[in-house]
Amino acid sequence: MTVQSQEVVLHTKGLVKRFGSITAVDGLDLEVRRGEVVGLLGPNGAGKSTTIGMVLGLITPTAGTAEVLGRDVGVRREDALAGVGAMLEVTSFYPYLSGRDNLAAVALLRGGGALARVDPLLTRLGLAQRGASKFRTYSLGMRQRLGIASTLLADPALVILDEPANGLDPAGQREIRELIRELASENRGVLLASHLLYEVEQVCDRVLVIKKGKLIASGTLAEVTRGGSSYFEIVVGDKARAAQILRGLGVKEIRETPTGLDVVAEAERGAELNRALASAGVYASALIPRASSLEDVFIELTEPEAPSAPPAS
Amino acid sequence: MLRLLRSELYRLVRRWMPWIMLGLIVVIAFVFYFLIWVSVNAQLQAVKNGTLPVPAGGTAQLEQTLRQIAPDRVAQFGVSVVAGLGSVMLIVFAASHVGTEFGWGTFRTLLAHGASRSGFLVSKAVSLVLYAVVFMIVGSIAAIAASYTVSAVAGISPGSGVDFAEVARVAVKSGYTFLPYMALALAIAVWSKSAGAGIATGLVVYFAESIVAGILVSLNKDYAQIVNWGLSRNASALTRTVSGQAGPTSQDPTASTLPDPTQAAIVLGIYCAIFLVLAYWRLRSRDVTVGG
Repeated sequence: MTVQSQEVVLHTKGLVKRFGSITAVDGLDLEVRRGEVVGLLGPNGAGKSTTIGMVLGLITPTAGTAEVLGRDVGVRREDALAGVGAMLEVTSFYPYLSGRDNLAAVALLRGGGALARVDPLLTRLGLAQRGASKFRTYSLGMRQRLGIASTLLADPALVILDEPANGLDPAGQREIRELIRELASENRGVLLASHLLYEVEQVCDRVLVIKKGKLIASGTLAEVTRGGSSYFEIVVGDKARAAQILRGLGVKEIRETPTGLDVVAEAERGAELNRALASAGVYASALIPRASSLEDVFIELTEPEAPSAPPAS
Repeated sequence: MLRLLRSELYRLVRRWMPWIMLGLIVVIAFVFYFLIWVSVNAQLQAVKNGTLPVPAGGTAQLEQTLRQIAPDRVAQFGVSVVAGLGSVMLIVFAASHVGTEFGWGTFRTLLAHGASRSGFLVSKAVSLVLYAVVFMIVGSIAAIAASYTVSAVAGISPGSGVDFAEVARVAVKSGYTFLPYMALALAIAVWSKSAGAGIATGLVVYFAESIVAGILVSLNKDYAQIVNWGLSRNASALTRTVSGQAGPTSQDPTASTLPDPTQAAIVLGIYCAIFLVLAYWRLRSRDVTVGG
């Protein structure tokens, strides 16, 4: 994850998009630099695709600006997008054309040396054998691969991928993760919108979490996951008694699990909790410290109002 | 802009629909000429054999109809046939050429790869005009070939042969009259994001407007001052001028009220511009989300 250059390839400032009374994106600032992979996370309807749409000039912002390589998309859209390769959530190509012809059609639009990159990209994305087949015969995974190939035709400084692993099998997902890291190592900036938190954890240098169009967390993975709480998984038989003892120690958040309790407490309190339970004659067969994963943090951040399991009495 | 046009043409020549339509117009030209010969010849034979009564005025009118097959009549007859059928086919094609981009979601793909909205519209319009030119050339050549072939089979004298300059003139002016209908179909396809709506509207306007205009002018010639600002009357004014008295409008009792050909050409051009501007205005103001 070596950062080769700090040049900012994407910078948005105060992006706002309102559809009537609904605010889809609300004052979003984000930045992507060369050589880094930035994950854009958020639940369905959080505004990820709308944000990408505004960055690409598909959607006109209500307020704010998006700049690619220093060029304002709202003012110099064609110039700005010359350095961008984008794959949208729904991959759409001409059904009557082959995969190769679809890439060639995009390459002609891109100009430069794009046409010469068609066959190498088909090979790189594992589509060389099916390059002559019509797009309409492609599986979902193949369509995704073709979409990713099309993003690289213009040798872009910024690659935007919206759910690139949709429809891919586990092996395909791994290949895409490796490809995304390769893109960053080629000194490109990558903006990755994904629901697959495992994928984001594997490939992203930084993450941005948005909810209802607002940025609610950002930073490196370590910084963001530190924002989540640590907890102990306690395997115990008498859950009610154990919960009563722990409450006596001032522990407020206790969730019942099939094997015992999940207890939110600082990592250094493990010995204290264990001692208190044993002193009261409640013996835990395991007390395991757990750190919040990105998934835990994501759920904490984006669904705080979701009803949790009833607390153990 | 040129890069987008190159991409547009690359895709156009790899699509089946334009080739099928070219093939159809060739087949239709031959079939039409053969059917005219077969049906008129059968009537003449029947009259000669006595199975049909001799029409009032003799067989001169039938023989005159048969003469339309001759190569020296291609400009007046063959190109008119191609233009009549071609206009319908080109309206369908124009709506499909644009509407499918929204149906397939490829408009979004093009924009995401840096195409501009104005570039999209211009490349569509230019490729449609180029296709209409190719269509008229192929259709005219097919009409000429059909005329020579059927004349040879029927033993009809080729007369002075084909007047290529006249054929080209008629084809260009006939082709010009298609453009506003194609632009209308394009605009509706853009507004509705649907090829079907573009086809339906284009065809309804093409047929219904000419019928309504014809009825109104037949009822009262003063109505011409209103309907002459529509599409059909201006198109008729141009095609009548190019095909002369033997053209498709020669039997039109309201022909004397048609607008001046120059004015007609200008009005049709203005319609093209209006439809394209409306399409651009809609494209420009629309957010492109999933589905187009």
